[in-house]
Amino acid sequence: MSAPSLANAIIKRPWLTKMVKPIAAWYADAAGYRKLGLRADDLIPEESENVLLALKRLPQKEAYDRVFRLRRAFQCSLAHQLLPKEQQTKPEEVRARYDVFDKWNAKIHQDYSYLSPIIQQVEAEAKERDDWDAAVVQRK
Amino acid sequence: MRVSFKLLEDFGINVNRLNTTQRLQLRRHRDSLNHQFLQTMISRSALGRNAQLALRRQCCAKPAPLNRRGLAAVSTGSTSFSYESADVGGIKVASRDVAGPTTSLAVVVKAGSRYQPLPGLTVGLEGFAFKNTHRRSALRITRESELLGGQLLAYHTRESLVLEAKFLREDLPYFTELLGEVISQTKYTDYEYHEEVEPLIKLSQQRLLADVSDLALNSAHGIAFHRGLGTPLYPTSSTPLSKYLNDETIHQFANTAYTKSNIAVVANGANQADLSKTVGEFFTGVKSSTIPVSSPASKYYGGEERIAHGSGNSLVLAFPGSSSFTAGGSYKPEISVLAALLGGKSSIKWTPGFSLLAKASSSFPGASATTTHFSYSDAGLLTIQFTGSAQAIRGASIEAVKSLKSIAEGSISKEDFTKAVALAKYRALEEGQSTDAGLVSTGAGLVHGGKPFQIDEVGKSVQGVTAEKLKSAAKALLEGKATVSAVGDLYVLPYAEELGLKI
Repeated sequence: MSAPSLANAIIKRPWLTKMVKPIAAWYADAAGYRKLGLRADDLIPEESENVLLALKRLPQKEAYDRVFRLRRAFQCSLAHQLLPKEQQTKPEEVRARYDVFDKWNAKIHQDYSYLSPIIQQVEAEAKERDDWDAAVVQRK
Repeated sequence: MRVSFKLLEDFGINVNRLNTTQRLQLRRHRDSLNHQFLQTMISRSALGRNAQLALRRQCCAKPAPLNRRGLAAVSTGSTSFSYESADVGGIKVASRDVAGPTTSLAVVVKAGSRYQPLPGLTVGLEGFAFKNTHRRSALRITRESELLGGQLLAYHTRESLVLEAKFLREDLPYFTELLGEVISQTKYTDYEYHEEVEPLIKLSQQRLLADVSDLALNSAHGIAFHRGLGTPLYPTSSTPLSKYLNDETIHQFANTAYTKSNIAVVANGANQADLSKTVGEFFTGVKSSTIPVSSPASKYYGGEERIAHGSGNSLVLAFPGSSSFTAGGSYKPEISVLAALLGGKSSIKWTPGFSLLAKASSSFPGASATTTHFSYSDAGLLTIQFTGSAQAIRGASIEAVKSLKSIAEGSISKEDFTKAVALAKYRALEEGQSTDAGLVSTGAGLVHGGKPFQIDEVGKSVQGVTAEKLKSAAKALLEGKATVSAVGDLYVLPYAEELGLKI
């Protein structure tokens, strides 16, 4: 999950963000996972304690949708096909018109980070525990 | 994640994180006048772990620095055993300044199993005590309390939920702040519920299912009071918890339970002025109640319930008792004398004791009897509980009813009566003196609109019980409806009818 990233440094500089964003958008689209109906967070490797715990903390519907997307993507991959355009994942900013009326499924086709905030929370907890375990008390 | 330690600093502890090696500095300061600190800087890199420990011990052994109150300074507390109560911004605060270096501080909430709107909410709320709040994590709460040598407890009775902290006297501001934060700023997250609270509730259900005595007592309360006080203390194994219990329902219950009029802050070993000041400072986040927590007034019903159980036997005979002392008018001291007279367990060594049940059950080896008087804010339950082999319980319970009848006829010796009064008085006073029971009964008394537990008055009222009063109390019990609950081998355990009790 915590691969070295320049994202934070770039976001801090608005002018740089403005320059890089179109490239990032192009890259995410070219990665191809959206055409299989996946979200970026679906690609995070599950094989770590933190991610497993974060997956357990997903709301029921999110967890169900995640499994659905993964199975659909496997099926597409096996069949060497891409999903029809309307079922493909859209970038987070783009909202389909029918999403506005369907509150329950409002973000269903959107590529937003549903899992990484939870992973960050789990990592922060682990970090805090490590910090306390390494703490040395000094009485003044 | 960078943890901000500003919060701790405000309450007398200085915890600094140095950027390379993670270190905590812990310091206490009582007031701004004393700035002379005894400094023992221990660098993690410079010393081995053992040397550090030795150094730390050394620094503790040195005479207390000016800024810390030593043990001698603490003995300013009076030796009075009565509580002083006050109202601080709508919150009832009571304290007893018992001399000593430690303090127990409790928030007593009118949210026991009696007041839960849905089954299990009290246990759920208890489980969420000292979990993540909006200001700090559960881990931080435990680690900080450990650093200060404090203990944190959460437990409940049928009427009250108690969040308690025990700590050194000078840490009062820190722990008052903590309790204030726990009741007003806990997050009630869903993952904590599923990962930490729910498994414990399931375990407590299993424990209850295996414990015949608790099953029998719960069943007796259920028969005696139906709803309200009759609600089991812990959800039984067949309670459909997933239907009623989740983080949201618990959060809602917390919003109604943790309100100003619904809580009392009680302390043992704290100065009333200090306590009022800190409560006024740190309990500002507590809301005023909009919907009061309520439960129907208790009414005694009585009846019989029999539960088959494979592991052990227990029989409970119960009668309407007296409400607790703190309730005021409906307090009947003769019931506690009756409980002492019936007894069962000896209070001294190498003898069955004077109590009637001990004598009665001595001829039935394998059965043990105890009489307990459960007193609540508006009712009470006098229970005689037998445990042991089914045959022995059968014999002992028949004898027990006989001895209860003998009390009602007035055929008990004057000596036994005097002993019973003395024991009842001792028990009442001891309960008031011991910190835990005193905290809970005072807190419960305050939130139920009564008075704090005043030890002198209790002693006087128990002393005032006469043999005549006792006789009429026993007579009234036998004439009314009894509660009989049998758990275990139902083939042998007696019915109420066989014991000669009315149901």
